[in-house]
Amino acid sequence: MTGVIEPIIGRYLTVDIAGRPHRIYFEENGAGPPVLCLHTAGADTRQWRHILNDSAFSSDHRIIAFDMPWHGKSLPPEGFETEEYLLTTDCYIETVLRVADTLELDKPVLAGCSMGGRIALQIAALHPGRFSGFVAIEASDFQPAWYDIDWFHRPDAHGGEMGAALVSANIAPHAPTAERWNTLWMFMQSGPGVFRGDLSFYTKDESLVANIGRIDTKVAPVHILCGEYDLTCTPEDATRTHRAIPGSSLEIMTELGHFPMSENPARFRPYFARALAIVTGGKTAVGTEAA
Amino acid sequence: MSDTPALLPTLERIAERLDARPHLLRMGALFSETVLMEIDDDCYYLTFHRGRIEKIAHGRNRKTPWRFAIRTDADALERFWQVQPAPGFHDLFGLVKLGRASIDGDILSLVKNLRFFKELLAIPREEERA
Repeated sequence: MTGVIEPIIGRYLTVDIAGRPHRIYFEENGAGPPVLCLHTAGADTRQWRHILNDSAFSSDHRIIAFDMPWHGKSLPPEGFETEEYLLTTDCYIETVLRVADTLELDKPVLAGCSMGGRIALQIAALHPGRFSGFVAIEASDFQPAWYDIDWFHRPDAHGGEMGAALVSANIAPHAPTAERWNTLWMFMQSGPGVFRGDLSFYTKDESLVANIGRIDTKVAPVHILCGEYDLTCTPEDATRTHRAIPGSSLEIMTELGHFPMSENPARFRPYFARALAIVTGGKTAVGTEAA
Repeated sequence: MSDTPALLPTLERIAERLDARPHLLRMGALFSETVLMEIDDDCYYLTFHRGRIEKIAHGRNRKTPWRFAIRTDADALERFWQVQPAPGFHDLFGLVKLGRASIDGDILSLVKNLRFFKELLAIPREEERA
């Protein structure tokens, strides 16, 4: 057999973030109401490869994912070579909004995982009118690190390999071996100091705790998904966050961990379909069969 | 300290199987340290040389220096070694988060060799799976 070409299309856009131009890589597939997807710390858009390729979603949605600056195929800004990368809430929100504006997305659904889920909830609190709904995956109001983030940026060791070994704790034992290692490979490839800079945001910025009461699910619905094997954002963390957002919904995903769309795409698929159906008011035609 | 080294056969089997896994030996090639595994009140000192376990000494010995120590209990390890462990029991740091294990000493030494160590400890699970 000859090779197979996937339907995903990748392109680049340039936007100003914090007053500086950033070249950002994005991928998309499908047509219909847009769904903008955010990757986790220390990884990139490849985490969404199965959802992007899934015709059950792309047949009636425009699925889009982009690499955050410093991640994947998005470059760091000019002058990065002397900077310490530390992601901030303000910079993260500006990045998501600028990308959505440049792509001229009309009230997309925002679906983010881990730090992407955290920023989705921040945007739900601070910019509720910009999105039609929020799917917050492995997301919570806040949890401090159970590790030392400085482990992952040292001159005497490979931060990517250590980061991958650490986050393997968050993958369920049910993950297919190939997808487990595809998921870990992204962390191994992460640029020096990038995972640490993401974790600085994820494990030190508590600002969502004060903002979470501002989320109005009547303006835009919020659905939270959490894998039962996630050691970083545990089901307890997700449940606490769900209870702090009146009108939100929560589903604990069995046999899944912190990277559900990447570590075990077949298992994640029905959960994501249900999530989309919930935040779009059931308008989606995607099947919602149980796993 | 108990008189019967209950975990010794398992640790010896790990050492033996490790020798047959070239990718693990490659990953552990810079690891030459002694690690204390304390299971309940039973102490095992695993002396590594370039990724191989050269010696396992049983019994508490305060004169034996170690780089880092993993302390847990036999029941937690039994659950850890199941083919599909319950949440938390699936990973060394999961045991720590559950309060069923602790890691002391030079934790950075463990983190620098984390994949090597995790796969090493999971060898009994992989054998169950096979």
